[in-house]
Amino acid sequence: MKVRYSYLPQQFENADDLWEELKEFVKTGDFTLGEPLKEFERKFAQLIGTKYAIGVNSGTDAIKLSLKAKGVSNGDEVITAANTFVATVGAISELGAKPVFIDCDDTFCMDTDLLEAAITEKTKAIVPVHFTGYMTDMRKLMPIAEKFNISVIEDACQSILGSLDGKNAGTWGNSGAFSLHPLKNLNVWSDGGLIVTDETDLANELYLLRNHGLVDRDTVSIMGYNSRLDTLQAVVGNWLIPQTHSIANKRIENAAYLDRHLSEVDGITIPPRPEGYKIVYHLYIVFAEDRDSLLEHCIKAGIEAKVHYPIPIYRQEALTKLGYKEGDFPVSDAHTSKIITFPCDQHLEKEQLDHIIKTVKGFYSH
Amino acid sequence: MPIIDQSFRRGDFVGGEEILAFEKKVSELCEVKYAVALNSGTDALTLALRLLDVGSGDEVITAPNSFIASAAAIVHLDAKPVFVDVLDDQNIDPSKLEGAITKNTKAIMPVHLTGRMCEMDEIMDIAEKHSIPVVEDAAQSIGSKYKNRPSGSIGKIGCFSAHPLKNLNAFGDAGFLTTNSKEISEKAKLLANHGLKTRDVVETFGFVSRMDTLQAVILNFHLDNLEAVISRRKVNASIYSEILNPKFVTFSKARDYALDTFHTFVIQVDKRDALKDFLASEGIGTSIHYPIPIHLQPAASELKISEGTFPVTEKQSKRILTLPVNQYLSEEEIDLIAKKVNYFFEASVNG
Repeated sequence: MKVRYSYLPQQFENADDLWEELKEFVKTGDFTLGEPLKEFERKFAQLIGTKYAIGVNSGTDAIKLSLKAKGVSNGDEVITAANTFVATVGAISELGAKPVFIDCDDTFCMDTDLLEAAITEKTKAIVPVHFTGYMTDMRKLMPIAEKFNISVIEDACQSILGSLDGKNAGTWGNSGAFSLHPLKNLNVWSDGGLIVTDETDLANELYLLRNHGLVDRDTVSIMGYNSRLDTLQAVVGNWLIPQTHSIANKRIENAAYLDRHLSEVDGITIPPRPEGYKIVYHLYIVFAEDRDSLLEHCIKAGIEAKVHYPIPIYRQEALTKLGYKEGDFPVSDAHTSKIITFPCDQHLEKEQLDHIIKTVKGFYSH
Repeated sequence: MPIIDQSFRRGDFVGGEEILAFEKKVSELCEVKYAVALNSGTDALTLALRLLDVGSGDEVITAPNSFIASAAAIVHLDAKPVFVDVLDDQNIDPSKLEGAITKNTKAIMPVHLTGRMCEMDEIMDIAEKHSIPVVEDAAQSIGSKYKNRPSGSIGKIGCFSAHPLKNLNAFGDAGFLTTNSKEISEKAKLLANHGLKTRDVVETFGFVSRMDTLQAVILNFHLDNLEAVISRRKVNASIYSEILNPKFVTFSKARDYALDTFHTFVIQVDKRDALKDFLASEGIGTSIHYPIPIHLQPAASELKISEGTFPVTEKQSKRILTLPVNQYLSEEEIDLIAKKVNYFFEASVNG
């Protein structure tokens, strides 16, 4: 049996109505900052529960433009998690700022107990990463940020509809950054992203930054970028958005099923599933003994298991000049040899989940 | 849209064969060894300058009458845009170029505005003399030629836009860069994709600037029609040239050594605003590219360049008007527009 990782061909198998909508859209020629984009932004803001949602070219740009709008520039420090995807750090670096890392805990998110010690007078922003669909403990993080008057940009790229105590990812900080990349829970047919916020000034700055700083066709008030979410992709987004809750719920259901059965396996440890956290499982990750052999075993059995990520960001070639070294972030380091990601998406059949469980059980019973 | 349909049933949304096919086709068209598909023309400019190590304290020479994106790309790298005034044809004046070069000049970025290439021989001579790389802002000049050489093939790097309003257009933002340097093309691909050497290894910090695979499908389709688009625009432009009354209307003259592709057809006239209103009242939409020069935009206030610094650009900004020239307009329509323009001036003179 095959358990593939990417479900994209399945997802759009029965999308004839979407094709019709796209054909109609193309005839309008409304390709740049068009009506379907405005509609999608309205619906997304409503979905997350913010006043504004601003469509941009990628989740990376969502972080970068948010930081830029909050005044982050050369020489500033931005605190983020040591185990994130490269994009978070790329966004910080592109503005000339220095990423300052904090270790994660077993929820794969920033250990907020370590936050205060990392703050210096140069700290301009904190970018908590709600990694894998978990939530950073924003109840602890926000009071610290407020005490030091530091902006908070949530990297919610992997956690659409994730929440903590019923409050959604992206609604805790000054703004929240989302990705619509094809592999994300709410996905369009290309790179794409959104920034959500309740702050009117910030939203207005972001509208300018994403569109060359143009106040009107002829007047440029600030030096901006070209980072618009394609209106054509918003047509896809509008088609998908009614499914967002059911996508999250199905993933949560699949994860609970895997949790229940994999927790019986000696050799597998399920990460903590704390009270009050709605985890949306963009990635379903567990800790495994003898991980590399298990990974190989699973792949042989037709399961596209993966590792997110084998080399933590702080030890990447691109960061050598920051001077971090192995051992600086012991939890992130320890994870790299234990973590394994299994498919958990909404398109999986029960038989496929059972195949994962059986294969893992089989591996450890030898 | 069967072409799109096929590609997307495969779930190929980022990267994929269509991107490679586009890069190959467009590199052949531009007569360069490599083309790299990107998210926009703006990103192509930013990336090009980054590939040439433009950074803090460096200067980049460009034209003050372009779209804001060229200057913004420079500013975002913490470098300083240094402007050089333009010729009557709105392209950078090579005779003023050398005077703008300093020890901090890291790149020269001529803009082929309106689909008409700059005087590249003179620009390249000066650039080579000072060993400064040239980045062609070819966002408006796909398929244009200068002495039989396509735009984007003369400088170190060429930057193109495939925005919906361009002659080669996607259904959303898209762009690409061209180069003959293997090193530059490989590094561009790396930088446009998070700096990822493989899925797990980050070699350098990049950003996300991938052309959507879907847009590549559209562009591959449109590329086959580009020649027809250009020739229709040329016909339309030649009708304008024949009919418009030279006593009142000036516009760039064709050069026997260059092929202009007329992304826009721009005339220069007195009473520009009144003409624009008159044409609007006749149901003819026109546009101004661009009414406020970059150095006089609020966004450029930090550069502290006062009005009067670039007299040709500033004078043109009050006189230029873009007439419709696109491939969907018939010869009769162009004829009519040209006659309306003439009528406006001839009637005012008589009245």
